[in-house]
Amino acid sequence: MSELTFARIDETVHATLTPPRRGYWGIVLLLFCGVLLGAGCWVYQIAVGIGVGGQNIPVAWGTYLINFVFWVGIAHSGTLISAILHLLRAGWRNPIARAAETMTVFAVCCAGLFPFIHLGRLWQVYYMLPYPNQRQLWPNFLSPLMFDVIAISTYLTVSALFWYTGLVPDLAAVRDRATGMRQKVYRVLSLGWSGAHDQWLHYSRGYLLFAALATPLVISVHSVVSWDFALGVVPGWHTTIFAPYFVAGAIHSGLAMVLTLMIPLRRIFRYEAIITVAVLENVAKTMVLTGLLVGLAYGTEYFIAWYSGNPVEWESFRWRATGEYAYGLYFMVVGNVLLPLLFLAPAVRRSLPALFSLSLVVNFGMWWERFVIIIGGVAHDFAPHAWGLYAPTIVEYGIMVGSFSLFFLLFVLFCKHLPSVSMTEMKETLAHGR
Amino acid sequence: MAAEVRVLGLFPDDGKAARAIRDLASAGFTFRRAHSPIPSARLREAVGGRKSPVGWFTLAGGLFGFGFGFALAIFTAVQWNLIVSGKPVVALIPFFVVGFECTILFSVIGNVVGLLVCTRLPDFRGLETYDPRCSADRFGVLASCPAGREGELLEFFRKKGAEVRLWP
Repeated sequence: MSELTFARIDETVHATLTPPRRGYWGIVLLLFCGVLLGAGCWVYQIAVGIGVGGQNIPVAWGTYLINFVFWVGIAHSGTLISAILHLLRAGWRNPIARAAETMTVFAVCCAGLFPFIHLGRLWQVYYMLPYPNQRQLWPNFLSPLMFDVIAISTYLTVSALFWYTGLVPDLAAVRDRATGMRQKVYRVLSLGWSGAHDQWLHYSRGYLLFAALATPLVISVHSVVSWDFALGVVPGWHTTIFAPYFVAGAIHSGLAMVLTLMIPLRRIFRYEAIITVAVLENVAKTMVLTGLLVGLAYGTEYFIAWYSGNPVEWESFRWRATGEYAYGLYFMVVGNVLLPLLFLAPAVRRSLPALFSLSLVVNFGMWWERFVIIIGGVAHDFAPHAWGLYAPTIVEYGIMVGSFSLFFLLFVLFCKHLPSVSMTEMKETLAHGR
Repeated sequence: MAAEVRVLGLFPDDGKAARAIRDLASAGFTFRRAHSPIPSARLREAVGGRKSPVGWFTLAGGLFGFGFGFALAIFTAVQWNLIVSGKPVVALIPFFVVGFECTILFSVIGNVVGLLVCTRLPDFRGLETYDPRCSADRFGVLASCPAGREGELLEFFRKKGAEVRLWP
């Protein structure tokens, strides 16, 4: 940090906004094709019917719900980094806060698509809105699915406003260096921000309040998502530890995605002086903690199943470890709990290839955690004659590819058109020596 | 009334800018505004502190949201007044989830409205007496004086270690 100056921070970040090379547009095109593939599969599903997916009786919730929970989880570390670590005055969060917040907004957008996709008859989405139908019936807020509608839309609104508010001073800085049409666009986007002392007075207060409000929200949103399952009387789902279990898992997966995005970003945009290895190391250390919390939740689930003496619950958990989807359980235990422990070794958490590889492993493991929970519960519940298996179809894989492509496409477009590191917060870090 | 000229002093750090703000009045000039690339406690202190009222907007939004969330859940439940599984029609514990989410949502909306009202954004007129270096690495102090005294004000800023810009 010592070699950084205000001018160098500006130069580094402004350099990322120069017109992109041909390779960039090649990546954009590739990702756009992925989005088209997903959109095509969705259109096919709308035309033919939800039956083109692998959902069945008893497994009515397949990859659409897995991906929904996965993306909501990814969205959580952005708010952890931007809000909770802001309140804790952790200076190391500043270089990665902007990209993490952006990741949050785009991940919530991807997550928000899946309930629509899973709905099948998309045109009946208005059933979920607080609006009376032709029989004067209103949606009932006793259902966790209705909690979800409120929670996810609140989270999307709050995280988007938080992200944009944080961007305003940086948009003004970009405006002040831009020329021509770009300057006009950034002038409007920055709302005429001039960094006047009274603007900063209100901004600092407002930003602090944003962080204070986002912190309980982030915990509540994934708790509400967990209640989609925990409030259902299904073995493997109906447990009180789901809310903290899901929140810990969400932060764990989100931190992994931060590493997955930050390491290439740092290399491509020459951010080495700003996103230092020490910053990435701190993310890795936090992942050791979240990994252990997730491991504690895995163990507690098994303990509860055994200690309850409930034969149905115990059978469900026995089957998880020995049944058709046992590999999913081992992916999640090894990927989310055991391998992140390698970060305890300083050499591993300071090695960029190791950080990147392990972040991919955790992303993979967290996807499988959702598979094990969502599919495992209903595939093997109370009555043996109703047990069944599930496998995603090619249409579901296409939509999944589409959602990942959409997420990375939005992020790639963001990186080249908006400041991907907060210049203001980096300058504050420099000025205050944090 | 005599015409007024405005001069912007651009300082390399907030300490010098804060000292200049403190000395402006005794030198017979009027302080108008300070610009900085980051929020500065020194500048805030020199300008004279007052608390931001943004929090009141946030509080108002939160109170409205809490009431709105509960009211929405209760209103929709009583439209179909049917007891299911012995559970109350107006069930406060699940409705608290809706109330909580709406509290956060409307608090944040109140916060944003408060920010826009207090900072008077969007406002593009403030950029007329603004220097782009203030968003990079300079701390600007905008002061005014009657026409004819601009030379004294320019000299004042230069003595304090600033680069200067003048607006007639």
